[in-house]
Amino acid sequence: MNGGPLIVQSDKTLLLEVDHELAEACRRAIAPFAELERAPEHMHTYRVTPLGLWNARAAGHDAEQVVDALVEYARYPVPHALLVDIAETMARYGRLSLSKHPTHGLVLTSTDRPVLEEVLRSKKIQPLVGERIDPDTVAVHPSERGQIKQVLLKLGWPAEDLAGYVDGEAHPIALEEEDWSLRPYQQQAVEGFWHGGSGVVVLPCGAGKTLVGAGAMAKAQATTLILVTNTVSARQWKHELVRRTSLTEDEIGEYSGTRKEIRPVTIATYQVITTKRKGVYPHLELFDSRDWGLIVYDEVHLLPAPVFKFTADLQARRRLGLTATLVREDGRESDVFSLIGPKRFDAPWKEIENQGYIAPADCVEVRVSLTDSERLAYATAEPEEKYRFCATTDSKRRVTEALVRRHAGQQTLVIGQYIDQLDELGEHIGAPVIKGDTTNAQREKLFDAFRAGELNCLVVSKVANFSVDLPEATVAVQVSGTFGSRQEEAQRLGRVLRPKADGHEARFYSVVARDTIDQDFAAHRQRFLAEQGYAYRIMDSVDLLAAPDPEGTGSAGSAGNAEEPDEV
Amino acid sequence: MSSEHNGGSSSQPDAAPGASASSGPRTLAEDLRARDDSALAALLRARPDLLSPVPGDLTQLATRAGTRASVVRALEHLDRFTLQTAEALAVAPGAPPPHGAVPREGAAAAEAPLARLLPGAEAAARLRPALAELRARALVWGPPERPRLVRTARELLTSPSPTGLGPTLAEAVAAAGPAKPAPSRLQEMLAAAGLAGTHDPVSALAALTALFDDPGRMAELLASAPAGAEAVLRKLEWGPPYGTVDLEAPPPAVRWLLDRALLVPTGAEPGGGPGAPGSVVLPREVALHLRGGRAHRVLEPTAPQVAPARSYEPATVDATAAGQAMAAVAAVEELLGLWEAEPPPVLRAGGLGVRDLKRTAAALDVSEPAAAGWIELAYVAGLVASDGEADEVYAPTPAYDDWLRAAPAERWAALAAAWYAATRTAGLVGERDPRGRNLAPLGPGLDRGPAPEVRQRALARLAGLAPGSAPDRDTLRDRLCWERPLLGNRAAARAAQPAGQPPGQQPTQQPGQPSGAAAGAGEADGGRQLRSRLLDWALDEAETLGVTGRGALASYVRPLLVAEQDGGAAHRAPGATGEAVRAVAAKLAPHLPEPLTEVLLQADLTAVAPGPLERELAAFLAVLADVESKGGATVYRFTPGSVRRALDTGRTAADLHAFLAEHSSTPVPQPLTYLVDDVARRHGQVRVGAASSYVRCDDDALLTELLADRRSAPLRLRRLAPTVLASPAPPDQLLAKLREAGYAPAAESAEGDVLLARPDAHRAPPRTPPEPVPEGPPPPDGSLLAAAVRAIRAGDHAATLTHKPKAPAAAPPEGGPPRTVMAETLATMQSATLSGTPVWIGYVNADGAASQRVIAPVKVEGGFVTGYDHTAEEVRTYPLHRITGVAEVAES
Repeated sequence: MNGGPLIVQSDKTLLLEVDHELAEACRRAIAPFAELERAPEHMHTYRVTPLGLWNARAAGHDAEQVVDALVEYARYPVPHALLVDIAETMARYGRLSLSKHPTHGLVLTSTDRPVLEEVLRSKKIQPLVGERIDPDTVAVHPSERGQIKQVLLKLGWPAEDLAGYVDGEAHPIALEEEDWSLRPYQQQAVEGFWHGGSGVVVLPCGAGKTLVGAGAMAKAQATTLILVTNTVSARQWKHELVRRTSLTEDEIGEYSGTRKEIRPVTIATYQVITTKRKGVYPHLELFDSRDWGLIVYDEVHLLPAPVFKFTADLQARRRLGLTATLVREDGRESDVFSLIGPKRFDAPWKEIENQGYIAPADCVEVRVSLTDSERLAYATAEPEEKYRFCATTDSKRRVTEALVRRHAGQQTLVIGQYIDQLDELGEHIGAPVIKGDTTNAQREKLFDAFRAGELNCLVVSKVANFSVDLPEATVAVQVSGTFGSRQEEAQRLGRVLRPKADGHEARFYSVVARDTIDQDFAAHRQRFLAEQGYAYRIMDSVDLLAAPDPEGTGSAGSAGNAEEPDEV
Repeated sequence: MSSEHNGGSSSQPDAAPGASASSGPRTLAEDLRARDDSALAALLRARPDLLSPVPGDLTQLATRAGTRASVVRALEHLDRFTLQTAEALAVAPGAPPPHGAVPREGAAAAEAPLARLLPGAEAAARLRPALAELRARALVWGPPERPRLVRTARELLTSPSPTGLGPTLAEAVAAAGPAKPAPSRLQEMLAAAGLAGTHDPVSALAALTALFDDPGRMAELLASAPAGAEAVLRKLEWGPPYGTVDLEAPPPAVRWLLDRALLVPTGAEPGGGPGAPGSVVLPREVALHLRGGRAHRVLEPTAPQVAPARSYEPATVDATAAGQAMAAVAAVEELLGLWEAEPPPVLRAGGLGVRDLKRTAAALDVSEPAAAGWIELAYVAGLVASDGEADEVYAPTPAYDDWLRAAPAERWAALAAAWYAATRTAGLVGERDPRGRNLAPLGPGLDRGPAPEVRQRALARLAGLAPGSAPDRDTLRDRLCWERPLLGNRAAARAAQPAGQPPGQQPTQQPGQPSGAAAGAGEADGGRQLRSRLLDWALDEAETLGVTGRGALASYVRPLLVAEQDGGAAHRAPGATGEAVRAVAAKLAPHLPEPLTEVLLQADLTAVAPGPLERELAAFLAVLADVESKGGATVYRFTPGSVRRALDTGRTAADLHAFLAEHSSTPVPQPLTYLVDDVARRHGQVRVGAASSYVRCDDDALLTELLADRRSAPLRLRRLAPTVLASPAPPDQLLAKLREAGYAPAAESAEGDVLLARPDAHRAPPRTPPEPVPEGPPPPDGSLLAAAVRAIRAGDHAATLTHKPKAPAAAPPEGGPPRTVMAETLATMQSATLSGTPVWIGYVNADGAASQRVIAPVKVEGGFVTGYDHTAEEVRTYPLHRITGVAEVAES
């Protein structure tokens, strides 16, 4: 017992007491190998996973350091079994390595012959390897570099990839830091990525991931392929790159459903490259069309499965993944690890907020009691219709309208899942609706109007979940979502987290029907944010409707008694 | 084994032949008689098996001390050098020195031959203590100048000798059997060795022995050996001393050796039959010459030192160990908490099933071997046992409740003390016994007698290192091997025999039955392996349990070790350890964290207890929230389900709010308040109960009247709603009672329709009538009757017709048996009985086989005839009904 800030649990979670004087030092010591799992107000939870330990090994840490960090900061003696397990797990990394052989090309080498024998006996490895060069070395077909890494990770013997990268076609790119500069954490992220070669940078929404991408490109000084989620996002990348770097409009190409330009820097959407015609991917040529020196994956947690397959073939190129969260609803975190690379940098959301780079947010869950007839209808609804029903009730619509009215004059987004509901809401509020069938031109026009303040309120469907940059949105009202998707909630909150010109506090409302499946889903969605330190306040719709309309100043109407963040 | 009847005589083998009465004790018993009481007490302490039962006198004690089982046991408790001393004594020349009279110079001179066998200054220094130790254990006796090994020990240590020395020349020749050289052959050998001839074989062998014992002459002899001869000898030098050569046509070098008795034929069959394991043997004297007089290739007079592998701050060691200690207590508590709710069944063969072990391991979130370790620990500590009911299950014992009430340090001390002395080894779980049965936790076959001694010796060595030092495991292993080189040999041999112990046997001290197995090489291997595994288990378990931290002994365990050393492994008085346990607990307590009374509540609906909580707090929090993570701290998560669980225990929302506010070091987060309120709001809103019948009426005044009616009291009506009453009485009874009371109730069907009073006339589906099952046969009809009567008549007629006496037929011409009617058979028999004449009968035995025999009937009664059967030539009895016919035998 030495009164340290860290408690090491036998299930390999680490609890860090945030208010402890050594908390910051401890966080730095454990960050290389432990994944931040939850960051609520008092105790942050980190988890030690094999992936995390191998991440640490990849970054040059050894088991001794990990054990020392745990032992030094632990409040209670660290369970012996856990230390042994850490040492054993870390020792698994690097026993196998992929490297370039002067005559045989790509080879898999082992420092521990039995391990090599073990993995070579696996049926999944056999088709990926060639001839045995000597007892410790076996040839690997260069095209299987990604595959074999994926399979080896699954077998529990992750291979260290020392085969290096191709430089790609050189192209001068520089940051133009005249009236701005990379923030310290962005700088660290770029350095972390470049040092590691390939990997993932985890930053919250609104923390400027695009600039990390730009920084990485400036480091690489090579032609770059950027994969983004959709066209709007592609345009924003282009806009940002033109503004922040030496690149000109002509040097940046867009490869999307409408345009097929291939330039030194090309931005492609996931949609277009995963389009399949007659059983083949016609746009796969994009990857081979130039000698790319860097590939940037925006929103890695949304990477569609086929992209993993393509990525497996791109192992010789540097890869940068950008994301707000490594949590994938489909659980393919290990593919991200083996194919894009280990996590190279992350910073807790709250921390960046504390540094003032993202706006503080007040999250409010508004609980709506359904009317008796709605409850009856809900009870008799088909199971698969239940969520849709309770998420789109009239009671919720009335509460949403009240919320919009209350914040009249502030830039407000109403976000929902169901088009009918959104159309109806748009009609009642008198705001335009952006949904899947809205043309890009129309979207950009509305976004511009919203940015300019000509429009105060927008109703958006989930098309606006990703990469829509609406700098002045200060209020977001979520009426329905994709069931319990945690990352969607994070994205939506991200809409209001961009730093505001006046430092105004952002407000995020989630309207939830009480005692229904809607509430369960909301709890699931919020868990991610609550774990990131965003405490949800709960408000009763009755209080909200009864409260006098305070003409815009949100805080006056809040019925909750939680601590109010700093008033403006 | 009873020792009474042979007590007097069996001490004879250990008598000293030829020793004068004045020179010292003549027998072991005499030697013991000469010892003082404290020496005898020391002997009994060192060899407790001599005490059960308590011997009647010293002769008995000596006899018992000389039994094979006891000597084997005593040898197991010797360290390497003492054992090597005993081995050397066993092969040392037993005869008095050649210079005649027993030297009177004292012990030093007598130790000379021993000292030659055990060379080196260190050995010389250690020799006397080693002999003293052997003497104290009654393995050696006799005058100080001539120590004698107990005969059984000598036999054990020479058949074969662990030193690899073979029999002496004289013994080898005597044991050769058919290959024993003829006297003439001996004379040839003498000549070949360059010695003068003698008169008889005995003196010839003595001459050869003297030659072999003389280093100078021996060196000369060997110098003249042909090429290859020495290589042959060197091959057998360090044992085993037996070799196989072609005796019919030996190679020249071997022939040369055989001619000089440097190799002696053993007379064993070429195919390796009974007897010696080879066709030639190297005599002991020759081997000793080759070895330069040493008995052992490697003499280990001093114990190898245990090297520290790493050193830590003693405080770190204690903290680490205390952390494990805390975890151990928690693990046992969790295990038994689990089992008290869902006790696992006992397998029929005893023990816990594989599936239950898996389930337990999963619930504890540990590996199966680790789970088995905790289960066994709880078992040896007496906290869990089978309940002995018809459907036998394992459940916590009442001792568990006492244990739970104790302070954490005391709880741990109790576990550690139980572990320290246990012979059960959880490490064996999952392996198979020699019969191929799975060794289950809590099952039979897990006891290994040497386990506590290995454990205690290992920890004692750890205690011998500087505080905070973790030993190098291999040097520790070597050290234990030196301290008790034979320990575990018997246990390993026993475990390897398919002789399983009765199931469900409680862990016992060393089981009393002696092992019949000889101390063979395979056994020594098994023993070494068992010791090594026991050591590994002991150290691993010590670490898991918190006896050691990072491999070094925790300071708070020391009182336990001291107590054990004082008490000795064999005599463990519960009171003595009780004191040690208390001392351990007292020293451990400061290392354990203080229980907390507050937790941290967080907005993500978790609560973190940053340390162990007070019992009651922890217990209720575990109801109110689900445990998500355990260890030094506990993480709880509040869910609607968990809050409902708390409400189900009868708490109200206000209670829960108060509880949270009281035990939270921070303000209660709003989502948690909402969660409690939300769940409480709906808790109990919908009620469920059981009723057998109900009364429904639109007029609630009538129902009120009904409720108030005293006559309806037995119906125990209860108002569920203004227009509904419920009753536990069945509907028909309710109807009848209400009718009696003057109401006119109507019955309702499940669908709510009024049931009509007229009951439906019930119909079965179409059925065929049953076939009659008559008591007797059907009555006969006329034709059958007529036929029957006709048959009876005919039979009667036939009987009356044979009225005419008919001479009994002599042997039928074809030789078939005689056939007569029963009345005639009886009459013939009776007359034959009176006349004493033999008759000839046809007889059908019980199997239906017909035969003919001639008998002289003696007696006819009760349906049997008894007579002398001439065919079988004995008196026999035949049932009359099996006799087909009788005929008089024709007088010849």
